Amino acid sequence: MQFEWTPEQDAFRHKIRDFLHANLPDDWEKFSEHGPASPALTAFAREFCVKLAEAGILFPHWPVEMGGEGLGPWEQQILAEEMWIAGEPRGGQYMNVNWIGPTLQKYGTQEQKARYLEPITKGQSLWCQGFSEPDAGSDLAALRTRAELRDGNYVINGQKIWTSYAGLADTCFLLTRTSDDRKKGITIILVPMDTPGITVRQIPSLIGEGDIHEVFFDDVTVPETARFGDEGQAWEIVAYSLRNERLGIPRFTLARAALDRAVAMLQGEGRFTREYVRIEAARCAALCEAAATANYSVVQKRVDGLSIGAESSSARYATVMAERAVCEFVIEFLPQALAGASPYLKMHHQRGIVAGVAAGSAEIQLNIIASDVLELPREPR
Amino acid sequence: MQLALSEDQTQVLDFIDSLTRPYASLPMHDASLVLESADFDAALVESGFLDVMAVEELGPVTAALVVEKLARLPFAIEAAASAMVRPLIDPALPRPLCLVAEGRIGGPVRFLRPGASVVVVGPSGVRSFTADAGMIAAAQEDTLYAYPVAFLTGLPDGMTSHDVDAAEVLRAWRVAAAAEAAGLLGAALATTVAYVSDRKQFGRPLATFQGMRHRLAEDQVITNSVHWLALRAAGTGDRGDAALALLHAQEAAKRVCYDYHQFLGGMGMTLEHPLHLWTYRLKLLTAELGGRGEQGLAAAEALWG
Repeated sequence: MQFEWTPEQDAFRHKIRDFLHANLPDDWEKFSEHGPASPALTAFAREFCVKLAEAGILFPHWPVEMGGEGLGPWEQQILAEEMWIAGEPRGGQYMNVNWIGPTLQKYGTQEQKARYLEPITKGQSLWCQGFSEPDAGSDLAALRTRAELRDGNYVINGQKIWTSYAGLADTCFLLTRTSDDRKKGITIILVPMDTPGITVRQIPSLIGEGDIHEVFFDDVTVPETARFGDEGQAWEIVAYSLRNERLGIPRFTLARAALDRAVAMLQGEGRFTREYVRIEAARCAALCEAAATANYSVVQKRVDGLSIGAESSSARYATVMAERAVCEFVIEFLPQALAGASPYLKMHHQRGIVAGVAAGSAEIQLNIIASDVLELPREPR
Repeated sequence: MQLALSEDQTQVLDFIDSLTRPYASLPMHDASLVLESADFDAALVESGFLDVMAVEELGPVTAALVVEKLARLPFAIEAAASAMVRPLIDPALPRPLCLVAEGRIGGPVRFLRPGASVVVVGPSGVRSFTADAGMIAAAQEDTLYAYPVAFLTGLPDGMTSHDVDAAEVLRAWRVAAAAEAAGLLGAALATTVAYVSDRKQFGRPLATFQGMRHRLAEDQVITNSVHWLALRAAGTGDRGDAALALLHAQEAAKRVCYDYHQFLGGMGMTLEHPLHLWTYRLKLLTAELGGRGEQGLAAAEALWG
């Protein structure tokens, strides 16, 4: 076992940092307050991701046959950490390189790959994930948005909710119901967001402008070729993509960076002398590092080519614990941070409070750990 | 970064599995507060597994893995200090090794008995002596801890000074305690999971109730991360990592000891179930080196000055 980064991995990290230093504007910290899904940051990301692509650090972890450099999971981790610490200047495009691209490559038709992969590699596309519905959040398999095959087209009717990026996305990775057979009746359809019949309504939120939406589908008609995978294959594909997604955002690195920032502010005010504050800060650091090592142990499995199972839920829950602790620390000892004194800490708070909700709630992760890590007998249904 | 076990490490752990097999289950009809085995202790010394830290291709991470593995046994074995701290001080110090913080010698000392090496660590440096009966006060016979403990009645005038940085010994001590806690946490979780999966109330296993499942799942998350933080602290040799590892382990111990006895209900109050053999070692470890607050202060100092 080796807990230090190799010189090559350190060099890769420095390459990204240097790039960020050279390409982020001076007022970036204030600017990133807009939130990753905001019109301002989305527009910024469309230029920034082009530069990342040109510098070869938009998707260097992708396999060579997909146009990447085949750098591997540790480099993907480092890339994600540096971007997330910096406030995610890729905006919603992080999803493209983390899981949409690899999922397209694995399950897409030739036509879908040809249509969607290139814009991703050019830093020019934005996707949204049409998963949750008003009556299907954690119970995702209860979703009701219907897709009916009529004369070679799917006609879609229904509603999605809490959809990130929907306001500006080009394409929706949409879960629909094609039969009543719960998980086996769910089918993915790739829907261009400019298709007639789609209405997007932004929902005001705690987590930044433009982040959460309702999306309505009224007789939205797309050709049968827009189906992704087979009818009923969605659950398998989503399980695959969510495993990538859960590891995709290294939230613990931003939590740790925010903690360091908070401590620096307290030191600046001469208030990092009280023992209870120091102990509480250390407790937060332990939770951040606990989350880091738990996540890294999962990355190692990916490096070794092993399938990733419920341990990713354990790592993710460790991250939720770290985020919660740091968010609470900041409010208790630096309440002014969320009222204008620190754009960075406010940005962290807005991203941190999502940790236990996005990509499957924390309670669902606990259910998965109970059943699949601890192998407890299942709850009666 | 490379977090998979090396071939050597896998081999060491496999050997330990064979060595510990006869001691992995409880002796029949035993209902002791603490379990010890002189035979196993001798076999362990003979095997050389307590000396892996000094072996170049094995090193401190393997030593931590060994300590963690041994802590999972129902038997209390003095392994952590001998395997992870003794090599820094004097590999020839006779076992058991009892680590005592200077200025805090009044507490129960684990494994203290005549012939033990007592190492006093603190601002005056690192000093040791061999304990004799005259300086030991026995604990009450029904002391609840699942470690053998006794009290020091004082320190002798002539102690051996060791030419080693006390801060470095403190670091190794923290890592050793965290690695031991990781094993205890893992074993306590496993025995609790087995019990609540089996025990039926309201017509179904206790483990099917979400109130318990979620808490056990959270306990798994922190148990897993104590394991990784302990190994990382062993690997990096960093003082901040060591303090964070023991801080996290002590936080975890405090929480799970409550949960597990609660989940076992009446059975968890008896000596018929072995849970206490792990939790009542963990409980004493929560006081190691001054407890969570001291580790927190040490970590804060190392991380932020």
